Amino acid sequence: MNAITVDNLVKEFDRKRAVDRVSFEIQEGELLVLVGPSGCGKTTTLRLLGGLEPVSAGEIRFGERVVNDIRPKDRNVAMVFQDYAIFPHLTVFENIAYGLRSRRTPRQVVRDRVPEAAKTFRIEHLLARKPRQLSGGERQRVALSRAMVRDASLYLYDEPLSNLDAQLRYQAREDILTLHREKGRPTIYVTHDQSEAMALGDRIAVMNAGRIQQVGSGADLYDRPVNVFVAYFIGTPSINLFELQVEVDGDRVLATGSGLRLELHPSMAGEARRYAGRKIKLGVRPEHLHVPRMAPFEVTDDTTIHGIVNLVEPTSAGSTVYLALSGDGAGSEPQDFVATFKVRLPARYLDQEIPLGVDMSKVHLFDAETGVSLLHGGETAAVPR
Amino acid sequence: MARIEVDQVVKRYASDTIVDREASRTRPALNSVSMAVADGETVSVVGASGCGKSTLLKVVAGLEYPDAGRVLYNGTDVTYVRPQERGVGMVFQDYALYPSMKGQGNLAYYFQVHDRTEEEAEQRVRETADRMGVGFEHLLGRVPTTLSGGEQQRVAIARCIVRDPQLFLMDEPISNLDAKLREQTRIEIRKLLRKFAITTLYVTHDQQEAVFMGDRIAVMRDGDIQQLGSFDELYYTPANLFVATFIGSPPMAVLPVVVAGGEVVVGDLRWRLPDDVRPAVPDGPVRLGVRPEGWIVDAGDGAVLRVRHRERIPTERASFLYGSVGGAAVAVATAIDFPDRSEVRVTPEWSRAYFFAADTEDPIHLPGVLELF
Repeated sequence: MNAITVDNLVKEFDRKRAVDRVSFEIQEGELLVLVGPSGCGKTTTLRLLGGLEPVSAGEIRFGERVVNDIRPKDRNVAMVFQDYAIFPHLTVFENIAYGLRSRRTPRQVVRDRVPEAAKTFRIEHLLARKPRQLSGGERQRVALSRAMVRDASLYLYDEPLSNLDAQLRYQAREDILTLHREKGRPTIYVTHDQSEAMALGDRIAVMNAGRIQQVGSGADLYDRPVNVFVAYFIGTPSINLFELQVEVDGDRVLATGSGLRLELHPSMAGEARRYAGRKIKLGVRPEHLHVPRMAPFEVTDDTTIHGIVNLVEPTSAGSTVYLALSGDGAGSEPQDFVATFKVRLPARYLDQEIPLGVDMSKVHLFDAETGVSLLHGGETAAVPR
Repeated sequence: MARIEVDQVVKRYASDTIVDREASRTRPALNSVSMAVADGETVSVVGASGCGKSTLLKVVAGLEYPDAGRVLYNGTDVTYVRPQERGVGMVFQDYALYPSMKGQGNLAYYFQVHDRTEEEAEQRVRETADRMGVGFEHLLGRVPTTLSGGEQQRVAIARCIVRDPQLFLMDEPISNLDAKLREQTRIEIRKLLRKFAITTLYVTHDQQEAVFMGDRIAVMRDGDIQQLGSFDELYYTPANLFVATFIGSPPMAVLPVVVAGGEVVVGDLRWRLPDDVRPAVPDGPVRLGVRPEGWIVDAGDGAVLRVRHRERIPTERASFLYGSVGGAAVAVATAIDFPDRSEVRVTPEWSRAYFFAADTEDPIHLPGVLELF
């Protein structure tokens, strides 16, 4: 039996669908990350689960029990918010104890559990302080301690790390996973940041426009996206998307346009052949563009694209290079694309044209109209700008 | 365009409470800050909240007058010149567009209040729209509420460019956007800055954004600039331990160790320093800094790292192991397919190790810029 079942959930505000037929399950002890751009419906979904908003249609079940009409405080859900929702007039101890006291927990249990939770998150020396005397990271640990003392049936996190500086996030993320493992209860974690989703989740649901686009591991989403939205949203820098025409030339299948002429890999040629004479979107991850003589495959004219280097961003691993397609005689503004290298591109290549080898065995193909992957299926997606 | 100099600027804020007043007497918001920005250059100013980065921006803009020191534009002292006479364009986090005006009106407003002709305004707006690139034109006919955050920010930037500023000042201009939009917008801003070659100070709390936006990066802490330099300088030759741990993510591990007779002592473990490093590191307590990619995994003389937590990041083709060595938090970068293990042995790769004095946290020995070829 699933610990949590969300079945065709719908939420409408003024006849506008914020959440549109969302379904997923969570097992006991599982953590699901809900990720998507702002306005995609992820926070609304979380609020429906917490009972903070009434459901328009569909069902939420905790175990076998339908909880649609159950009040938030009777659902026994623990929530951690972006702003931590800490009471400024209460001490750290009372803030952590708040959820227990409001549930009439015996005093001795409160006295035992609060310092224990505070110790887990290294704030046991701060129990007598008021929140304004704490740093952002400490406040966040108060919110986590408050969730820790509870025995909730479901734990919900809404962007809990957004207000923390980058260097504090690593520890905070570990703290959240500690809490999750300790409790072993179903957990949903909402974020707009795909890199955070990658770091946290074994199971990630990508949302857009009120719909779940794909649920899977980080590797599923990055290497086998079902549609162009998921391909674009997961990974930074984003995947390069080129709208090209499919041409069949005997055994060979080519994708052409925008000054490009690329031969599709035999493993994909079959799928692409159905699109002969039609448009597809060809997706190339920045990591799959290579300096020709350093490429892990033989680069030919039919696997090369040329670009003019606009910007070079140094990274600890090498560089991220921002280019504009060259060789497009159409007169319109040339399309931009991005490549990541494991070596540092010297500054003298700025404004120069360079050739790049495309690892055609790793590209993605999408229907130009629907955005659906030709290789990994999936439902219609809104095509990103 | 302008060359900017900030010369020994001190700024204190008067405070209401006695406690805050005490604090501000001992630690001004800007503590004798000096820096120079070349004509056409973008310098990112980065630091945690309260480090003085926004105050620095305000002093350069003329929104605050310093208690001591000078601000020069092209060698001319402008310390007490009013902001509207300095020719600066400012872009803030909240865009500050006029909500009742369309994009066109927002861009033309400056010319209206300065009694310029309508023809001039229109021509300048058209020129700017052309230079802003594809897709900008259609923003001119829309009011701000119908624009996305990224689009509003482009209008805000164009509104500065239309006035032909000497200097651009940006304070967290994209921190209100979600992660994906931030990624797109920062590329756009960077390209515009490069295209227009306007001298720019760019304030942010995000080190990755600072690295991306700046030709050089100024790292601030407690009212001081700790270091001003290129990414490579900050990364490979940090001025002190603070800069070393501030730049790079996951952050550098800092191990409190003792060096004795050319050996690094961590708990009951001893690492022999290689010949080229040994003379540079004197005996005594030091801080050993190792970045996630600076560890050798499973070498014979490794320290035991109990893996508390592991992050497998397919988008970076890497997995990070988190644990501790000698009581210090350590992150180790490994291959994406590195097996799940509760324990590994790790040794610093000495050519990539950083050494800092235990007391002053100044560098003793640094790896220098990595040679790739």
